[in-house]
Amino acid sequence: MKPSMQTSELISALADGQLGGEDFAAALHASRHDDSAVQCWDTYHLIGDALRSPHGARGADPVFLNRLNRRLAQEAAHGSAPLSAQPAVQEPPAPLTSHPGQAANDGEFRWKLVAGFASIAAVSAIAWNAAGLLAPAAAPQLAQAPALQQQVVVVASPQGPVVRDARLEELLAAHKQLGGTSALQEPSGFLRNATFETPRNAGR
Amino acid sequence: MGHVAAQTSPAAASTVESRSINDWLMRMHEASRKRSYIGTFVVSSGGAMSSAKIWHVCEGDQQMERVETLTGAPRSIFRHNDQVVTFMPDHKVVRTEKRESLGMFPQLLQSTDGRIADYYKVKQEGTDRVAGVEADVVLLVPKDSMRFGYRVWTEQKKGLVVKLQTLDTDGKVLEQAAFSELQLDAPVKMDKLLQMMGKVEGYRVEKPVLVKTSASAEGWVLKAPVAGFKPMSCYKRPVTANPGPGEEPLQWIFSDGLASVSIFVEPFDRQRHERESSLSMGATQTITRQLDAYWVTVMGEVPMATLKLFANGLERKK
Repeated sequence: MKPSMQTSELISALADGQLGGEDFAAALHASRHDDSAVQCWDTYHLIGDALRSPHGARGADPVFLNRLNRRLAQEAAHGSAPLSAQPAVQEPPAPLTSHPGQAANDGEFRWKLVAGFASIAAVSAIAWNAAGLLAPAAAPQLAQAPALQQQVVVVASPQGPVVRDARLEELLAAHKQLGGTSALQEPSGFLRNATFETPRNAGR
Repeated sequence: MGHVAAQTSPAAASTVESRSINDWLMRMHEASRKRSYIGTFVVSSGGAMSSAKIWHVCEGDQQMERVETLTGAPRSIFRHNDQVVTFMPDHKVVRTEKRESLGMFPQLLQSTDGRIADYYKVKQEGTDRVAGVEADVVLLVPKDSMRFGYRVWTEQKKGLVVKLQTLDTDGKVLEQAAFSELQLDAPVKMDKLLQMMGKVEGYRVEKPVLVKTSASAEGWVLKAPVAGFKPMSCYKRPVTANPGPGEEPLQWIFSDGLASVSIFVEPFDRQRHERESSLSMGATQTITRQLDAYWVTVMGEVPMATLKLFANGLERKK
């Protein structure tokens, strides 16, 4: 089997529709025989969806989020544990046709999957546990996945994707609503916040 | 930054040159209270882009605004003076609130201590065209490294702000907001907007419960004031779901006239508050700290170092 890093690069390219011929076949082979490749595929698409979606990852597969949380816990415990050391949750790869549209890593969101994992581990330091403080809209989802302790939202930032949570969204909304005490507020600050708070606060 | 006065005519240059920072800010403020317009507003921050269609109308001292988001979840936001109503059609919920901060200008300019001019200087950067409108470009430069700078494009005739950049301490753009399209003096009818604002049938009306208080009354002090930042207001704000036992989160708001900082204090909860952290999203910075039995979140459009001063300065009253 190819080293994990190479596999994840292949999957990354596959997700972007950049592969053809031998590479394409190799990626498909990997997706059938390498659990870590399947995980890469899921992760890659979830993050891509989260970056493109104003609703963040809230509609995401709870199984994935669960796994992401376990991975984060492991990263914290073992430092740089290899991806394949994880006991895989077996899931079929998503059909290729279900992810049309732009590449997950277009424009400034260009990043590699391996680097992506590293940055998720790094920003897990800023992810807050928000269980019990979730907005009502998120509650049904929580009920389906009782093991999910954290409402994780992956959003874009200049540093790459970061993980945020519902509680942080609430505080941010509060800051924007009441904290806009600025001489620039009336000319344009209100417009800035009104235009801006909506996608961030989509789940209320 | 190059000082490009040559682009304006000598007569215009002399008025423009002689304007103080307060003159500029007052002019921008007045323009927003006198002009009606329809436009498309685009905000780009932290790698994300949002846009909204704006209707703005002034009648006498009454001001009204309608904001329809074009990106993200659909929202209709109406503002009548300091009353703000937000329609969330996807949740069939409408939120009504009063935003006191909207009325605080121009007192911010007139107060004797902590004046904006003590912490920022103004620099004219020539002219530019934004959304088809000729604009003066004005740089608001912080005098210390504790706040961000702003580059403001202000429409030449009356001073309406048409574009605004927030700049970090190295002058790099953190966030940008601008009209991509603007129709000045457009025929917008206030009574029509008021009618739309009042149409809440079929919606559940939510009023955020805010209790006005003071930090001192809640047992908090800032042992060393942060230069230029004055406390503006303080609220207790119940969480939206499952308010925990004990105290409600507190929001203590500071401003230096241009930038604002919120200190949130809530009881420490081992389950939720694991790690102290910092996060940067466009112009908005955030840090968290544990302080004895409390969890402190400091958030604002200021450099991280400034937030740390707030976090380190906060203490329980003895």
